[in-house]
Amino acid sequence: MGADGAPWRKVLYERQSFPDNYVDSRFLEELRRNVGVRRYRYWAVVREAGLVAQQLSCVAVVLTLWSYMDQGQLTPATLLLGSVLCALLGYGLYRALGRGHSGERTRCADLQSATIFMAFTFGFSPVLKTLTESVSTDTVYAMAALMLLAHLVSFPYAQPSPPGSLSLNAALFASVCLASRLPGALYVFAMMTCAILVFALWPCLLHRLRDVAPCTFPWAAALVSLGGVAGLASLSPGGALLLTLTLLALTLLCPLLLLWLQRHKDNIHGPWDEAEIHEDLSRILRGKD
Amino acid sequence: MGQRKRARLKGTLASGTSDGAAAGLHGSVKHNVCMVSDFFYPNMGGVESHIYQLSQCLIKKGHKVVIVTHAYGNRKGIRYLTNGLKVYYLPLQVMYNQSTATTCFHSLPLLRCVFVRERITVVHAHSSFSAMAHDSLFHAKTMGLTTVFTDHSLFGFADVSSVLTNKLLTVSLCDTNHIICVSFTSKENTVLRAALDPMIVSVIPNAVDPSDFTPDPSRRDDTKITVVVVSRLVYRKGIDLLGGIIPNLCLKYPDLHFLIGGEGPKRLVLEEVREKYQLHDRVRLLGALEHKDVRNVLVQGHIFLNTSLTEAFCMAIVEGASCGLQVVSTRVGGIPEVLPDDLITLCDPTVSSLCEGLEMVIARQRAGTAPHPAAVHAHVRTLYTWMNVAERTEKVYDRIATERVLPLDQRLRRLRARCGPVAGSIFAFVAVLDFLFLLLLQWLVPDSLVDVAMDASGPKGLWAQNSSRDKNIRPKYQKSVGSS
Repeated sequence: MGADGAPWRKVLYERQSFPDNYVDSRFLEELRRNVGVRRYRYWAVVREAGLVAQQLSCVAVVLTLWSYMDQGQLTPATLLLGSVLCALLGYGLYRALGRGHSGERTRCADLQSATIFMAFTFGFSPVLKTLTESVSTDTVYAMAALMLLAHLVSFPYAQPSPPGSLSLNAALFASVCLASRLPGALYVFAMMTCAILVFALWPCLLHRLRDVAPCTFPWAAALVSLGGVAGLASLSPGGALLLTLTLLALTLLCPLLLLWLQRHKDNIHGPWDEAEIHEDLSRILRGKD
Repeated sequence: MGQRKRARLKGTLASGTSDGAAAGLHGSVKHNVCMVSDFFYPNMGGVESHIYQLSQCLIKKGHKVVIVTHAYGNRKGIRYLTNGLKVYYLPLQVMYNQSTATTCFHSLPLLRCVFVRERITVVHAHSSFSAMAHDSLFHAKTMGLTTVFTDHSLFGFADVSSVLTNKLLTVSLCDTNHIICVSFTSKENTVLRAALDPMIVSVIPNAVDPSDFTPDPSRRDDTKITVVVVSRLVYRKGIDLLGGIIPNLCLKYPDLHFLIGGEGPKRLVLEEVREKYQLHDRVRLLGALEHKDVRNVLVQGHIFLNTSLTEAFCMAIVEGASCGLQVVSTRVGGIPEVLPDDLITLCDPTVSSLCEGLEMVIARQRAGTAPHPAAVHAHVRTLYTWMNVAERTEKVYDRIATERVLPLDQRLRRLRARCGPVAGSIFAFVAVLDFLFLLLLQWLVPDSLVDVAMDASGPKGLWAQNSSRDKNIRPKYQKSVGSS
């Protein structure tokens, strides 16, 4: 109560009988904490973390294949054959899953793109082969490692299809670097085809898999992770162990960390927040038609 | 909790009465105030006019006031404004949005020189966006001067940039003597941002000079209904909402016209809407307005529309209402506190809600039940006056004049305690460096050797003594202070 008995009001236009630094019991009553904060469930987060793990394993798979080719234990013809088989299988699956989708490209257009791409890669593979000849091998490896790291960091995990331009470019740059150290032009062609398959097309298929048949997604991710670990194990058991530990930390420990940190979240909202415009105002500009 | 609040409430009342007693006892105490902000004329805006009007009223009440800001292009050095208001335009580098760079140190020699020359007792900094204001607070505390800070804006808590700026504000305000906010919402915001004791935060609203904003119904065309918008055309002012409202209502009401004053990046949105719906004759974009032209635009309208998404006080709606317009505004920030319900229609910040509010007011305007502009003006002119703002600010000065400025050791302890172990330690270190720098400056040029400036304003002000007009005015104000 003020001097004249009137209760305090949160208005400026009235001269009230309270001092200017008066603090009412209603002070901060409109304060809201953690509005709209998501409550995560552990296993749901683990599922989503599977996407990160499988992307890391994809990198391991490509590196394993490259290593085998580099050592001459894998001929480019075998790799190409395997790639084509995988591509056909994957494409069939992709079409089968996308039956309900509208605005699909026709099969003919897909074939055309694939042909153009294969022809160009094949034609340019001698050029790619000699591209980094004047650069020392160590530099090439360091560059490839850096670019693969950039690929993993910039990969759009929230919306993996189509893969983000920065992550895709980084991955292809790394593949070109590695491929240029292989013994022949056909090797380069096989390596690039394989890289495109893993870095460009596989995320699209995986994304569709997650959309249409969510229950199969964790299995797919686990399969890829297992493939990556197994491939690396045949080359270097120590590396495989490290990869396994990393994958386990990514999928099991990091979600735990997120859940633990989420409890400490303290977000403040109140009347001072900037209002957000929720309506779609672009339709007004798009016109009355 | 309730107990504590009640205890706090009692404390407020007690301190309130002691305030009054202090004012009665030291009614004649005059302060040498230095207003510091990056934002001052020739820059235009709410902060600028606040500093100017407040300074003028404080001078009329017999205090000495100088203003410190950075050089604006060719405007550098010292300028005198009306009634001997001295402005220092210091040669400091501008970084971004008219705010100077801050290194915590480089401005100390210049600011110390001003503070010593002018025999400053109170440093009053304005606007949390101004680096110079924070610097001056920091140096003033090092020099042992009492400090006041006025916050003019609201800030969120969610993103990284606001987390960082809020930390800086905590550092800057943790040992400031008193803080002034322009609305209760702004006070809540500042108390949360800077983790302050709410008792050292006063709410003193902005004001509008009612004689600058008088209605003139003859200037408006009553055969049509004109909606006036005067605002910078930026996202925060909700110009996207305005772009949604215009076609909606223009299709419904053929006699509705929009008059939009202001400039900014969102002008494109309005131009596109105008183009798309062929409204060139009904939506007029006037571009940037000078302050003196605002009234001439306002009086041409029937309805004043404000679509801001965030606002600490919003002087624009008071100006609109003062010109006798019906005000429609979004219900954000401190706006609901500013005008009584019969002068404003509050809406949610959505196109549909604003359209609804506008349609209601249009209907009232058509039916002729809208209050007369002169009556609205007569109501508004009693609500906010600069003299009232000055009187309340004076009380703050009187109150902190009796307070002690923290000595260095306690200041360091306060910084470490209030600002966290990392930031607190860093800024405690900076405070020590600042103190050593000050000692060096005092050794190079001792305070006793610094020239004392001529007082143009204040108790021994030369301008005040020379003009008989001021002599007539001053006793009148003293009387009004005594009677209140």
